[in-house]
Amino acid sequence: MNDLIPGARVDGELLYHGQDLYGAGVDPVSVRRWIGMVFQKPNPFPKSIYDNIAWGPRTLGMRKGLDERVERALTQAALWDEVKNRLKRSALALSGGQQQRLCIARALAVEPEVILLDEPASALDPIATSSIEDLIHELKRDYTIVIVTHNMQQAARVADLTAFFSLDVRDDGARTGILVEYDETQKIFTQPGDPRTEGYVTGRFG
Amino acid sequence: MRLSFQEGLDQVQAALQEEGELVLRALRGALNALWAQDLELADEVIAFDDEIDAMYFDVQERLEVLLARQTPVASDLRLVLALLHSNLHLERMGDYCVTIAKLTKLVPDVEPEHKLVDAFSDMGARAEGMLRVALDAFATRDLERATSLVELDELIDRSNRRVVGQVLALAADPERLEWGLRMITVSRCLERIGDHAVDIGEQVAYLVTGEFREFTDASRGGEPLG
Repeated sequence: MNDLIPGARVDGELLYHGQDLYGAGVDPVSVRRWIGMVFQKPNPFPKSIYDNIAWGPRTLGMRKGLDERVERALTQAALWDEVKNRLKRSALALSGGQQQRLCIARALAVEPEVILLDEPASALDPIATSSIEDLIHELKRDYTIVIVTHNMQQAARVADLTAFFSLDVRDDGARTGILVEYDETQKIFTQPGDPRTEGYVTGRFG
Repeated sequence: MRLSFQEGLDQVQAALQEEGELVLRALRGALNALWAQDLELADEVIAFDDEIDAMYFDVQERLEVLLARQTPVASDLRLVLALLHSNLHLERMGDYCVTIAKLTKLVPDVEPEHKLVDAFSDMGARAEGMLRVALDAFATRDLERATSLVELDELIDRSNRRVVGQVLALAADPERLEWGLRMITVSRCLERIGDHAVDIGEQVAYLVTGEFREFTDASRGGEPLG
């Protein structure tokens, strides 16, 4: 996706099981097979609930036991009980919180190793947010979950490890995203090692 | 439902109860050592305080994490604050048990004054009972039991005041007087353990009602301490 942004440039390596994901010869389809992604705004396909979940497995040729796979993914995403009687109905009729859990179920359906959640609850009300956070708590037993959030309380609540990213602006105006600090969440929110992290988590910006 | 938060709160409450059980064991050990002039047991009580301290730090750290990560409010906030205070009270009670054990070791060769030692058994049993009431009241959010600690404390206070008179009666024998003077501190320790149990009761009342108040006002009423 970074390729879509004009002038975007990536330095260094992003290693996944020792392989650089930005290296030459990496198949994006294969990356998506192992690293699922859920976006800020729930984005179900304009299809039935069932077809949303079945989409990834079908594309990857996982046609055997598809019904069970769909049920398992919806159950893991804590959505099955709410939708099991209307699987053929449009996913767009679900509430925002349900749609987001549907997107999580869709990511789970191909049984990835890692799930990236980009601000998964910022468009949701507190009750839906709470159910997503409880879900993250459940899913972390079986999946590696990476969540991007601007909500520090959310990071504090759900994450075992926290990385604080910020912006470095050079004198000539060039802006670079930098990793300021990465540590156990408990440490970040009780004794951060970097004054910039301390300033950010205590709300003393700039 | 914020499952991880609830789990965290449940765990720290269990840890506090466990710490309370450790203090009860220390208190029982300190009283037995005093009664039997058992120096080995006194040493064990002193060493055992490390376990209470470890539990104290464990509770403190769990609460720190809950505050930093879960931003508790309303009854959750009151629970965290009540736990924070009660944790300190328990740790102090443990320290008083150590003091009793140390005093037991200081005066091993003197024949104890039985009236006094009997009085300590009585005070000690009351202190144990009060700590049990405080822990149960905390676990069950029982305001009535928490408030009952005030009356229980009055009984310990009375025993404590009687001790001074009994020690003065030993003035004729310098060795026994020295023993008696140390025993005033033992008495004071038991009396203070009772006070800390009342303080935990006050935390229970705060937790249940949302209002913090002292059950009794130390600066008003009551007789001077012995």
